[in-house]
Amino acid sequence: MTGITELLKAKGASLEAEDDFDTVNELMRDRGWSDGLPVIPPTAARVEQMLAFCDRAWDEPVAKIAPRYGEATPLRLAANAVMAGCRPDYFPLLVLAIEAMCEEPFNLYAIQATTHLCAPLVIVNGPVAKELDVNAGHNAFGPGWQANAAIGRAIRLVLVNIGGAIPGSGDMSTFGAPSKFSYLAAENEEASPWEPLHVERGLPRTASAVTVIGAECPHNVNDHESLTAEGILTTIAGTMLDTGANDVFYEAQPLVVMGPEHAKTVAEGGFSKARAKQFLHEHAHLPLGRFSRENIDRRLRVTWKERFAGAGPDAPVPMVQRAEDILIAVIGGAGKHSAVINTFGATRAVTRALKLRDGRYASAIADFRKK
Amino acid sequence: MCELRKRGLITAVILSEPFLKLGKNQSRVFGVPDLPLLLIAHPLGGLDLGGVKGRAQHAIPQVIELIKENYK
Repeated sequence: MTGITELLKAKGASLEAEDDFDTVNELMRDRGWSDGLPVIPPTAARVEQMLAFCDRAWDEPVAKIAPRYGEATPLRLAANAVMAGCRPDYFPLLVLAIEAMCEEPFNLYAIQATTHLCAPLVIVNGPVAKELDVNAGHNAFGPGWQANAAIGRAIRLVLVNIGGAIPGSGDMSTFGAPSKFSYLAAENEEASPWEPLHVERGLPRTASAVTVIGAECPHNVNDHESLTAEGILTTIAGTMLDTGANDVFYEAQPLVVMGPEHAKTVAEGGFSKARAKQFLHEHAHLPLGRFSRENIDRRLRVTWKERFAGAGPDAPVPMVQRAEDILIAVIGGAGKHSAVINTFGATRAVTRALKLRDGRYASAIADFRKK
Repeated sequence: MCELRKRGLITAVILSEPFLKLGKNQSRVFGVPDLPLLLIAHPLGGLDLGGVKGRAQHAIPQVIELIKENYK
């Protein structure tokens, strides 16, 4: 394997700067290599340390990242991981998340460049979530946890520095969202009464995986009063009602994040995930008359022509086209809350397993340690 | 659009001013840095049919000029 000294000799692979934190950060900001916050200077030594858990050649192409279609290599990803404050053992998860969001069904180009405020949300499943201490409990989508904050931030830096998601020239989001700084959490599998997300999506329980979703920020579902599955699900379905969501106009896959307490109530009411989805699908619809006249004529009657061509104001408009398209994950700590996370709409969730180069599922991050 | 341009067809992207940088970047990324970018007033979304026709009226002379230039 070519060493880092050799790789950094390539044109544009490195630059000289004074060994001073403020100077390096000024340089980074001037070049736009930043999310606006200070970064850890990616020195050759730090980048080499970051690659301790990389089982592939450091200059091997991993993916091309839209809209610039910059080539992500382990070397470049590691530099961004250093900048974000990652530990070296986080690195395989960063590579996996980037690979997942560069799969075609995810539609990364549009998610990066759209005027919509979406950001790639990463949900981590399997043993690696615990090994890396990825927060699945209280404040899982918020600050206070290194793995969530740093891996999520590294993803954003990669999307900006390699993918070219520069505000106003590669990222055209009208106003963006705080989730563009970092958006990563683990599923609280221990507190879930159902099969984990990655198992539902076809992987063995012992596998570790990420699921990437082109997502809006979480919209809270407060229900302290409902004591039944139907009650909780009715409140969640009510929160899904949204005349301004992209999801209404696409075959979208919105995510319902159930807090563990809500999930327990729903499961104890005899609801499997599939049945809960069916309930949500049946109850999350608005009468056509709740949409603006222009949206009815120019969007709904164009996108769903046969359904709404002669429909009156009471005709139901489903928030999701198919029950099975609703994603459910159990995340969070104590409390009577869930969340609805709408999406960009023109995107499909992608689940990708953490595998070694020989195709075997990785059982631990240590499997990636350079021999 | 860039692929069509590479095949020799007369091609242009019609865009509004806020998207000009994105258009320039993307034409460079896709290997056609000289892809004609024809500007119309912003916005295009949210216009009624009359407004859309107005934008088209602004774009059409630019398209005709482009075709003339390419047939010289």
